[in-house]
Amino acid sequence: MQRRQFVQWLSIAGLSNVLGSAHAARHTANLRYLRPPGALAETDFLARCIRCGNCGEVCPNRCIDFFQLDNGSDSLGTPYIIPREQGCILCMKCGQACPTGALQPIEHEADAIMQQVHMGVARVDQNLCLSYQGKTCGVCYRACPLQDVAIYVQRLEQPVVTDKCVGCGLCERSCIQIPQAIRILPNHQRAAL
Amino acid sequence: MFWQRHLNKLRWVSLSLVFAGLILIPFLHLYQTYEATHSYDYLSSGEKYIYNTMELLTKPFTDDPVNSLDKIKGNTWSGNLFGIKISDPLAVVGQTFAGLTIYWPFVLSALIPVILTILLGRFYCGWICPATFLYELTDNVGTLLKRIGVPVSHRRLNHKLKYIILAVLSLLCALTGTMLFAAIYPPAIIGRELYFQIAAQGFGVGIIFFLFTMVFDLFVARRGFCRYVCPGGALYSLLGHFRILRIKRKVQACNDCVKCTAICQFDLDPMRDDFGQECNNCSACIAICPTDALMFTLNWKDSVYQGPGHLGHHYKQRPNDGAA
Repeated sequence: MQRRQFVQWLSIAGLSNVLGSAHAARHTANLRYLRPPGALAETDFLARCIRCGNCGEVCPNRCIDFFQLDNGSDSLGTPYIIPREQGCILCMKCGQACPTGALQPIEHEADAIMQQVHMGVARVDQNLCLSYQGKTCGVCYRACPLQDVAIYVQRLEQPVVTDKCVGCGLCERSCIQIPQAIRILPNHQRAAL
Repeated sequence: MFWQRHLNKLRWVSLSLVFAGLILIPFLHLYQTYEATHSYDYLSSGEKYIYNTMELLTKPFTDDPVNSLDKIKGNTWSGNLFGIKISDPLAVVGQTFAGLTIYWPFVLSALIPVILTILLGRFYCGWICPATFLYELTDNVGTLLKRIGVPVSHRRLNHKLKYIILAVLSLLCALTGTMLFAAIYPPAIIGRELYFQIAAQGFGVGIIFFLFTMVFDLFVARRGFCRYVCPGGALYSLLGHFRILRIKRKVQACNDCVKCTAICQFDLDPMRDDFGQECNNCSACIAICPTDALMFTLNWKDSVYQGPGHLGHHYKQRPNDGAA
């Protein structure tokens, strides 16, 4: 009987540990991640996503990665993008591959992308940005797939982000400053559509 | 029927092919990404090896790997098979409960497996499931362990446990609004984790859970996860309740040797005509039967116990009362 009690005690301890750490992860989250393009708002997305991994498997850019328990247990196996590591090239294959509509299928076409993709919005930190600090750079502007629409440059290549930005993260990926002077503010906590 | 003895081998071919596919698909994906970025000259030697092997494999079939290889994607949980999206019925059940909405394109993607299961019963568990492949190997390891004296356990629990787990987890999906089945359903875990290991960040927590289920199978109950816990197995069993493909015992040819009952990993009793919805069509009992008394037949119902086999000594020693 002693062994059984030990096993019971061990399983309860393990379970509470896992749940506890998941809880802790949720409430200390400082992980800045994006959901793939076409993702529903976060609660809807978590309800729809079946964690099949098809979005990652079709991504030609390999920007889509998958959560373990590091964003809470309810995010286990869901896709995310860390723009500094690899930005999204807006090929829209993941939305076509998603079986459940957690990632909405979107045409690979500029107008559709600008209307329906809301991964986040880029923001320039002028204290870090080289172009605002007396040098000229403009790398983020050249990396942007929606040049002059989502981002434009003033004189001396100083970038300005407009509200057309879809948040693909290619600018953050390409920023030559360390730490990066342009960051995507994720938009997945927006209100449900 | 003699040819049915070889179905078990065919089943192993099927299981191996599915498992090999789950390993191949991530490699194909890597190949596609190398090809899409024209990065052959920048690859490391290992990556070049992957590229060359995959090019060799796909060259006869396609000239445009970047796009045409998208037709074979995913895993048994949900995937794209030559352009047809196929999903596990459990994924549909869980997603419907989690989202409390019905998304028809997704529901329809489970149509083919559902129809096949209604006709053939729990065949997915025996013929396709990548976890079954590993669990059956685990079971063989268990036999070896037993032979060298390690105590393995064959505890019997109640088969109905898995239906309760299916119901409770469906309810929890609805309450928490997340897809909980994906976290504990072994084929989904295997498909995902193989992809993680080959083409992404490496094995994750899922594989730890899976190893625990293997230990459970070895040291608590033989094939215990499939028998008693798996919610997918429960759903397939329920869908296959009125299956028309059933194994039957020909009582005239049976000699009561109990080999079929001993080999059945699902704790059924073929020798006493006990199959039911739990049978996963693995056909191990057919393969081992020395007198070819078991066979697949098309039937709505299992037969009730037909009595001892006519070649066994129980039947022969019976007083010949009233029979002319």
